Amino acid sequence: MLTLLAKLFHALNSDSSIRQIALAIALGFIVGLSPIFTLHNIVIIFFVLLIRVHLGSFILAVGFFSGLSYLFSPIIVQVGESLLTQPVLADFFTSLYQLSLFKLAHWHHTYTLGAFVLGAVLSAPIYFISKFIIEKYRVHIMTFFEKFRIVKALKASKFYSLYSSFSGDSSLTKGGL
Amino acid sequence: MARFIRWQGMIAFMVLSALVVVFIYLFAESLVKKAIVSSAESAFGAEVNVAEVQLSYSPLQLSVLGLQVTDKETPTQNLFSFERATAGIDVWQYLFGKIIIDELEVSQLEFSSIRNQAGKVYPNEQSDGQAAETSLAEQAKAMLPEVDMKLPDVKTLLNDSNLLTVNASKQLQDSYKAEQVKLKALQAQLPNKAKLKSYQDKVKALGKMKVNSLADIEKIKAEFDKIKAEFKADQALVKKAKRQVLATKNLLAQQVNELKNAPSKDWQHIEKTYQLESIDTEDFAHILFGEQAREYVQKAQWAYDKVSPFLDNTDGEETTEAAQKHAQGRFISFKEESPLPSVLIKKALFSIQLAEGELTVSGSELTHQHWIRGKASLININSSANGELSLSSHFKQSESGDFKANGEWLINDRKLSNTELTKSKALTLSLEKAQLSGKGSFDLINSEIVATNHVSLKQASYQGQAKSTITQLLLDTVMSLDSLTIDVGVRGELSKPNFTIASSLNDALTGAFKQQVAGKLNDFKDKVNKGLNEKLANALTLGDSQAAELLDLEALLTDTDKALADLKNSDVVKQQQKKLEDKAKDKLKDKLKNKLGDLFG
Repeated sequence: MLTLLAKLFHALNSDSSIRQIALAIALGFIVGLSPIFTLHNIVIIFFVLLIRVHLGSFILAVGFFSGLSYLFSPIIVQVGESLLTQPVLADFFTSLYQLSLFKLAHWHHTYTLGAFVLGAVLSAPIYFISKFIIEKYRVHIMTFFEKFRIVKALKASKFYSLYSSFSGDSSLTKGGL
Repeated sequence: MARFIRWQGMIAFMVLSALVVVFIYLFAESLVKKAIVSSAESAFGAEVNVAEVQLSYSPLQLSVLGLQVTDKETPTQNLFSFERATAGIDVWQYLFGKIIIDELEVSQLEFSSIRNQAGKVYPNEQSDGQAAETSLAEQAKAMLPEVDMKLPDVKTLLNDSNLLTVNASKQLQDSYKAEQVKLKALQAQLPNKAKLKSYQDKVKALGKMKVNSLADIEKIKAEFDKIKAEFKADQALVKKAKRQVLATKNLLAQQVNELKNAPSKDWQHIEKTYQLESIDTEDFAHILFGEQAREYVQKAQWAYDKVSPFLDNTDGEETTEAAQKHAQGRFISFKEESPLPSVLIKKALFSIQLAEGELTVSGSELTHQHWIRGKASLININSSANGELSLSSHFKQSESGDFKANGEWLINDRKLSNTELTKSKALTLSLEKAQLSGKGSFDLINSEIVATNHVSLKQASYQGQAKSTITQLLLDTVMSLDSLTIDVGVRGELSKPNFTIASSLNDALTGAFKQQVAGKLNDFKDKVNKGLNEKLANALTLGDSQAAELLDLEALLTDTDKALADLKNSDVVKQQQKKLEDKAKDKLKDKLKNKLGDLFG
């Protein structure tokens, strides 16, 4: 089972560009900001796996922005609250509310909608900022990832040794796990 | 296309999804079990055990088996326990963020069942509230012994230096002494009898003086004016003394009056201090049954306190939560064809095992957002195991947060056995057996309650013990009663309601009991009043002798004043003038006679 997963990840990380890492961080930001099991998050995770983005960066971004989401939860809720209770938008949301998909996505929940809207709006600046930083510090970013305990722990795991045996050399040089 | 898409990702997604589904399938039951135990433990503050949780997915149904909640007051017992609770959950609505339970069934619900092992107790804030409730019940019990213990000893009572009678007589004595000093000082300045005599002698001497010429008259007048000046000075002193006597008389009269009223005031004070008034009219039904009524209201309040946080308007909740560091957010509903509340139990059925028999509680439309479907929640309680018992109640909450509930209850021919009515130092009373019937209704608007309840006991037999004369008599009277009716009215704030308890017991007590209590009280009242009146009489006797002295002084002053006035108004000068005139007239007459004698002789 683990061998199968390692093979899969090696294939996923066969080539990683700066844009792929920046996109991973931007998408990780949207996912990290919202509660993990929401419909839009599942859709984003599906696309993250489907399109060529850097998975390691995505996982780290999700972890980092989840923590940030906890700290900024009052602001996120406030954004959702002000949108959902806005009289001008009442008709718009009422018509959306008739759709099961809207309710299934929990976009009538102040936290979820606030997080999704903030995530969607801020993901573009985060993509470009990440891209700029990675371009400038590409060399340093590898060592930066190396320092993370989670990376060290993963590298010490059986799964990583399996993964290394399939990738042949350090995946970090290619931007993989 | 292959540059951007990795088709293996699709497989990865499917594998991950499958893993999540498998994880949920394998661990959902234990996760739900953990969630139920931890949330129930934090709510009830004691160990909660769940034997098993079962989940079936089509349709989604959650079953909790063997739940036991430890009673934190008695950890060897359960607060409640049940064999099985099954809830059929609407999955689609659950995914939309709503908890809609089509049917909730709880079977074999028991209260105060014995635990196999004592449960752990986690301290929380509610323990203080519980203590306050206990102390209220203890206070009610403590009322009975006070009735006997508070009859004071007459001698001790009469020797109390705070008695008004004692104080007023002492004040009268002190005032008399002070006034006496003042009067004696004045009396010393007043003209005594000798002085008055010397005045009279002087005036007499002036009257007897030989008057030969007008010069003599002038001399007498001058002498008399001199003495008159002395009279005036003495008269002023007498007037001053009279004013002082009047002031003294008024002061003493006022104090005597106060002294006369003191014994009745003292008795009122004694009655109030020792609660003797309440013995006359004591509502013994309140003492005996008030405790039971309070317990029922406290149970209702407990239930209301537990339910009310869930009934709070969600807007209010959010305002508080927004202030918190970590906000949870909330679901906002919009208009739709068939709206549903965020939590709704469409039907609920509880079967409760009580010592008196099985009780069935059914509920429908249980929610905290009644305005959404426009339906009130309904709760029915029925039992036919021992006579007939039924309770029907509706409650609803408006969007603005107003809570309204009303209901009716009925009990018919329910057999009671070994029911404790009161247990205190002076009296323990329990109902050995009786036939209970009753009905009542209640209205609760927010936390304001109005309830009327009528209960009647027939073929009742009691047992108990009494340790004081009064409680023994109460016990005898209760035990002699075959039937009893009690009317309990509850009105006011649910946390501190006012009770009105009327009972046929009070009427039964009117004869024997009240007479004996009244006799005992009258005897006590007579003794106390006799003692007080003796104190009053002593003080007044003393006052009488003081008043007599005052009267003597007043008479003396009047006499002195009169004597001085007589002397002042004496016509000694006029008399001497008349004498001189008479003399002159006589002389003239003699001369005239001599001249006429010479002329005609």
